[in-house]
Amino acid sequence: MALAPNRVDYLPIIDRPVIKWPNEARVALWISPNVEHYEYLPDNKGVRNPWPRTPYPDVQQYSYRDYGNRVGFWRMLEPLDKYGIRCCVSLNLAVLEHFPEIAEAMKQRDWDYMSHGIYNTRYLYTYSEEEEREFYRDCIETLRRHTGKQLKGMLGPAISGSVNTPDLMAEAGLIYHTDWMHDDQPVPIKVRSGKLVSVPYSIELNDSSVLRDNHYEADYFAMICKAQFDQLYKEGAESGRVMCIALHPFLIGQPHRIKYLDDILGYIMSHDGVWQTTADEIAEYYISNYYDQAVAHAEKLG
Amino acid sequence: MPAERKPGMDHQHYDWSPLSTREILRWPDQARLALCVVIVLEHMEWQPPAGSFQAANLAGGSVARPFPDYARISHRDYGHRVGIFRVLDVLDKYGIKATVAMDALTAENYPYLVRHCLDRGCEIIGHGVSVSRMITSDMSQEEEEEYINESLSALTGAIGHRPVGWLGPEYGESIRTPQLLAQAGIRYVCDWPNDEQPYPIKTPEGELFALPLMLELDDVVALAHRRVPVDRYAEMLKEGFDVMYQDGKQNGRVLGLNLHPWLIGQPFRIGFLDEALGHMMRRQGVWTATGTEIIDWYKSCHSGD
Repeated sequence: MALAPNRVDYLPIIDRPVIKWPNEARVALWISPNVEHYEYLPDNKGVRNPWPRTPYPDVQQYSYRDYGNRVGFWRMLEPLDKYGIRCCVSLNLAVLEHFPEIAEAMKQRDWDYMSHGIYNTRYLYTYSEEEEREFYRDCIETLRRHTGKQLKGMLGPAISGSVNTPDLMAEAGLIYHTDWMHDDQPVPIKVRSGKLVSVPYSIELNDSSVLRDNHYEADYFAMICKAQFDQLYKEGAESGRVMCIALHPFLIGQPHRIKYLDDILGYIMSHDGVWQTTADEIAEYYISNYYDQAVAHAEKLG
Repeated sequence: MPAERKPGMDHQHYDWSPLSTREILRWPDQARLALCVVIVLEHMEWQPPAGSFQAANLAGGSVARPFPDYARISHRDYGHRVGIFRVLDVLDKYGIKATVAMDALTAENYPYLVRHCLDRGCEIIGHGVSVSRMITSDMSQEEEEEYINESLSALTGAIGHRPVGWLGPEYGESIRTPQLLAQAGIRYVCDWPNDEQPYPIKTPEGELFALPLMLELDDVVALAHRRVPVDRYAEMLKEGFDVMYQDGKQNGRVLGLNLHPWLIGQPFRIGFLDEALGHMMRRQGVWTATGTEIIDWYKSCHSGD
């Protein structure tokens, strides 16, 4: 009897098909800024309170996030541009509608776009299957309308989901889900129909977890990002690894923090053998080259 | 029942015994310190059964979110898929045989991991059914007996013999757990982080010893609950070891180190464990041993008691 939710076959990292990234790269590095909008007066569905500190509005917390879009985003672009990073943005799609300058800046840089829902204050927990289907139609259509791009993946809005999420994502034509923190490589996620993979995102190398939830400062964030890279780079000589750094402009874009992002990117990008890419590209490459092998290998392992 | 104001403990599990007045314990080959590394392989459930108890500070997923919490359960699963192999590689580097505390859901659903741990010479000990089902005094005696039996039967089926050691998920016990463990054939229990030497537990049936772990050096307690920076954690391990090594010259100590691969096995953390164990293993007089080896030795030293 498989353990619920029975979405992932057990594949120990020491016993699975060897992954070779393009150009013999050891580490596929993707940088994921979470570009978000939190509503001033969200609808609290009673499962998770978007602003738990006070009755709405909570202008301190609302404007702290809004700072990310007004100021932090633009400061964050400086080190990203300096090192020529092409990001895969985790995007609340309504940002494209509210803040056209941000949309334009992302388009100019040819970023890839991963859905992070419509707003960071609208969670998937309470959606019926039909509502969630409509949600994917909305995400896909909104992205296409504003950027011309096809949506390929999602980090659930504020990392929320339903039990049906992987099935409905695949049904809508999405190919990757990044709510899974279980691996250093992509792995197949079992769905009713189609193919879906997890691409490793990070709640460890994530400025929100490190700085906000766990109260460290950015020098520590830089130290652990570099340590993470060193370990994965070493292991990646044998079989390719994925490294994600998750950012939030309202956090990393603070004046006292930005130099640490420069420090992290400067360190990593000084190495050969780094495939600086996006989750879209990692998912496509994995599905083309390794998905079937991985499924067959898992069956063999039993 | 509130304590009665009289000398000794306010329960019947063991006698009061300050280490400062205790007879001298010597480890094999005049070692000063026994290093026992416990690795926890435990499963966090997608939907724990109704009525099961989860510790209020249960770690995983950075923060807990409402169901379905993909991030939290998959963060935990990282240990089984990736982290465990890094941790075992570091232990191998220093010739340390691990004592693996494995829950029933892991034993039954990860046969690859069971074989792997046995092949690498680990001792496997009982660790309940899952980390989402902690033992507490809310359980009736019958429920608790059934729970312990379920855990030990699953391990017996998976490893081919009955385990003799026990660490409850989240160090959980009811007031009757030590007695029920002894009845079930357990010889040592790691739930009581109150000492730097093993000591006997009083049971009406069977023979049970406590093998204490160092709670503050537990990676979950240090890194997840107390948010100690991981470089500082490596220093804590080294500093703690240095003092115990010094103290162990007078009277032998056991450094019980409890590690969780989903946490310490993350790429950016593993190097710090390597560094700390490297510091310890450079010293002469460190006996790396499994729980059973330590308890066997301890018992042989006290057989005249």
